[in-house]
Amino acid sequence: MEAAEFIQYVIAGLKSGSIYALVALGFSVVYASTGIINFAQGEFFMLGGVLSVWFYSLGLPLPVAGIAAVVATAGLGIVFERFALRRQRSANPLVLVIITIGGSMVMKSLARHLFGPDELSLPEFTPGPSIDIVGAAVERQALWVWGLTVVAVLALWWLYRKTRLGHAMRACSISHDAARLMGVDTARVVMISFGIAAALGALGGFAVTPLTQTSWDAGAVIGVKGFAAAILGGLGNPLAAVIGGLVLGLLESLSVAFISSAYKDAISLLVLLIVLFVRPQGLFGSKRREKV
Amino acid sequence: MTRLKSGVMSYVAITIAAVLVAAVPLLSADRYILKVLVYVGVNVIVIAGLALLFGHAGQISMGHAAFVGIGAYTSAYCVGQVHLPWLVGVAVGTALAAAGGFVLAMPALRLRGHYLAMATLGFSEIMYVVFREARGITGGSDGLGGIAYPEVAGFSFDTPVAVYLLVWGVALLTVLLVMNILRSRPGRAMRALHATENGALACGIDTAGLKIRTFALSAGLAGLAGALYAHSVGFISPGTFGLDQSVIYVATVVVGGAGSLAGPVLAAVALTLLPYADALIPGLSRETVAVLQNWETDIYGIAMIAVVVLAPAGIGGLLKRLRSGRAGEAHV
Amino acid sequence: MSLLAVRGLTKRFGGLTAVDGVSFDVHEGSIKAVIGPNGAGKSTLFNLITGFDRPDAGSVRFDDHEITGRRPDAVVRVGLARTFQNTELFEDLSALDNVRIGADLRVPGGFVRSALRISLSVSEVDATERARYLLRLVGVEEFTDSRAGDMPHGTRRLLEIARALGTDPRLLLLDEPAAGLNGAETQTLIEALYRIRDAGVTLVVVEHDMGLVMEVAEEIVVLDRGSKIAEGPPLLIQKDAKVIEAYLGEECADVGC
Repeated sequence: MEAAEFIQYVIAGLKSGSIYALVALGFSVVYASTGIINFAQGEFFMLGGVLSVWFYSLGLPLPVAGIAAVVATAGLGIVFERFALRRQRSANPLVLVIITIGGSMVMKSLARHLFGPDELSLPEFTPGPSIDIVGAAVERQALWVWGLTVVAVLALWWLYRKTRLGHAMRACSISHDAARLMGVDTARVVMISFGIAAALGALGGFAVTPLTQTSWDAGAVIGVKGFAAAILGGLGNPLAAVIGGLVLGLLESLSVAFISSAYKDAISLLVLLIVLFVRPQGLFGSKRREKV
Repeated sequence: MTRLKSGVMSYVAITIAAVLVAAVPLLSADRYILKVLVYVGVNVIVIAGLALLFGHAGQISMGHAAFVGIGAYTSAYCVGQVHLPWLVGVAVGTALAAAGGFVLAMPALRLRGHYLAMATLGFSEIMYVVFREARGITGGSDGLGGIAYPEVAGFSFDTPVAVYLLVWGVALLTVLLVMNILRSRPGRAMRALHATENGALACGIDTAGLKIRTFALSAGLAGLAGALYAHSVGFISPGTFGLDQSVIYVATVVVGGAGSLAGPVLAAVALTLLPYADALIPGLSRETVAVLQNWETDIYGIAMIAVVVLAPAGIGGLLKRLRSGRAGEAHV
Repeated sequence: MSLLAVRGLTKRFGGLTAVDGVSFDVHEGSIKAVIGPNGAGKSTLFNLITGFDRPDAGSVRFDDHEITGRRPDAVVRVGLARTFQNTELFEDLSALDNVRIGADLRVPGGFVRSALRISLSVSEVDATERARYLLRLVGVEEFTDSRAGDMPHGTRRLLEIARALGTDPRLLLLDEPAAGLNGAETQTLIEALYRIRDAGVTLVVVEHDMGLVMEVAEEIVVLDRGSKIAEGPPLLIQKDAKVIEAYLGEECADVGC
């Protein structure tokens, strides 16, 4: 394979990888604050794309439509946590899993009812020819995707390190009881975590729609892959989630290059299973001793 | 004694169900109604197995539709391509699904709740890709058609009534066997495991082995249902065995009530019939039917959340409360 | 020959040695107590013996079977049962069902036999009768049909003992059975322990309640910071200088000497 072709695959891998990274971040943020897996995370991604198409079709300028979609999805995430999940705080984690599964079913179905079964699209943020990077053709939109991912990661880093809310979130990820003793309103932190996770997912959905289109069922596959990325990196660690996303994207892309494109989707699933079975704490997680 | 009474009650319930099942073809030979009821019967078999695994042993499987698919495609292949007798085809399909469950369970059941859910989900998605891509065996996304009717010892079940009776015969037998398991030692061991694994271990229960065997049994039942489905309907495609269907199965057990068998079975009957309500209520307007079919997934999702939040014991819990005022054992 | 032989049992958690080369014997028909100040490693020792944790070194022989590092359910099957410091009861089930699940161990019936209901009825009745008997033995028969989660604390502890007895053990390890019990409940417990011993079950008890230990135990093992510092009958242990220092040290930390 020539260098240019290889680089093309690497670029493609980094492109999808950064989307996985955004979704994985969403999983990580929720898991860190609550210890549960939010099965509706993929639907937040889907809603970001679908809602931004709708806002745009109402006449809003593209960036406003995107922001509106992200905000709306974040709001939905908060509402979902507040009304469906909060009361079950002390419940069996299985119950919480089921509620997020139910939530995902409803969101998906509502999206189909409201926005139809067809693929939806957005124009590129900055239309123009692809840019040549080291011999590979990179769409301008891809640069937007990377840019927004970097912005999101930096914003999250700033949140965690420099703000009181971020400190509260980190306290919660260690222990809710300890955090409460320190005066942290853990219920609020959990709610906001859902909002942030939803916003991250939606941002990814918005950014990638001009490239891949979106539709009511775009969330399912992305959700699984984003989770695989989060697990690969190590749940609960935002930086690990990003790395996991990029690594997964690369693995997937290179498997298309060297194996076949038909089984592309199976790659991330295999990665998921292998990580779960062999090293559940992922690349960067620490082994948590679980009693029996 | 109450315990004795509840045992007899369950057998009576099954007998009544058998009578009802037998009565249907006498009342109506409508192909549509019989076909819908075949779907119900197939789902009852899957749900019985899943209620055992998820409802009782507390192990979630987000990929049960994949096992149904394994049973369906394997049986269709054995009968259609390898020309094995129908019974052998079904047996192989069931066995392969059970084996799949066994193999997945061994590493997966060391994982906690949501990790297990994700592992089973991942397995389900992988199987979907396999169903889609292994064109030689499965026909790919175009599906596999021309699947033969069931045939036992020269007798061919090639009428809607025959197929219906066959499927429901197996369904009732499955419910009976699962009920027996739940009411005896393995069932109690599962409930113990679900309550506290340490406590179960302290009672000498081989929790790891129990989880694996329950998963394999549950997967096998799903495979059996899949095999029956394939030969009843004649055509299968990967879409039927995907994640959406798996989630619907889980939702059905949740709505029916983890911890009972009657609840999930009734929920399976009701929820499977819902989009085909016009089969039961002939006067139903087409708009209503369209709405029911369109909003089917929403209904599942909302019902699931509502049950978990408002009435965690589901339909089964309500049944139990009607029957006896006290809490206590999770019998059928 | 002793029923339970512990030799050089050791467990390390990172840099901390929780159990350090502990050895002792338990003879059939006796009541032995394991005591020590907080953090002495008593519960860890129990977990190592019963298979809930794997030792880093040492061995455990029960009734001439090597049970070191075997899984908890295998240890129970060999005849060594235990209770927990924080009771692990099946909360939603009745007391009777809790004990019955313990009794299920000695009753035949796997998936196939249960599904087809082959020769089950006799053994099911036996297990139920045995469960009722055990509830009477520990003295909680008035709670037979009550939900385990609703029972008072002392009764729950007795229930867990009854459940452990259901597995028909030859030796029963009790992890702080008197914790949280008032005087009357403790007396009920002591009487139950005697009845259990008289029924032929050897007892090993981890306890903090000195009154109970001194009254019930025939022999005492004292642990301090993971090591055994003394072993012997109650009267000698009471006077042992090392023991006094270990406990006094704990008291001084509280009170200030």
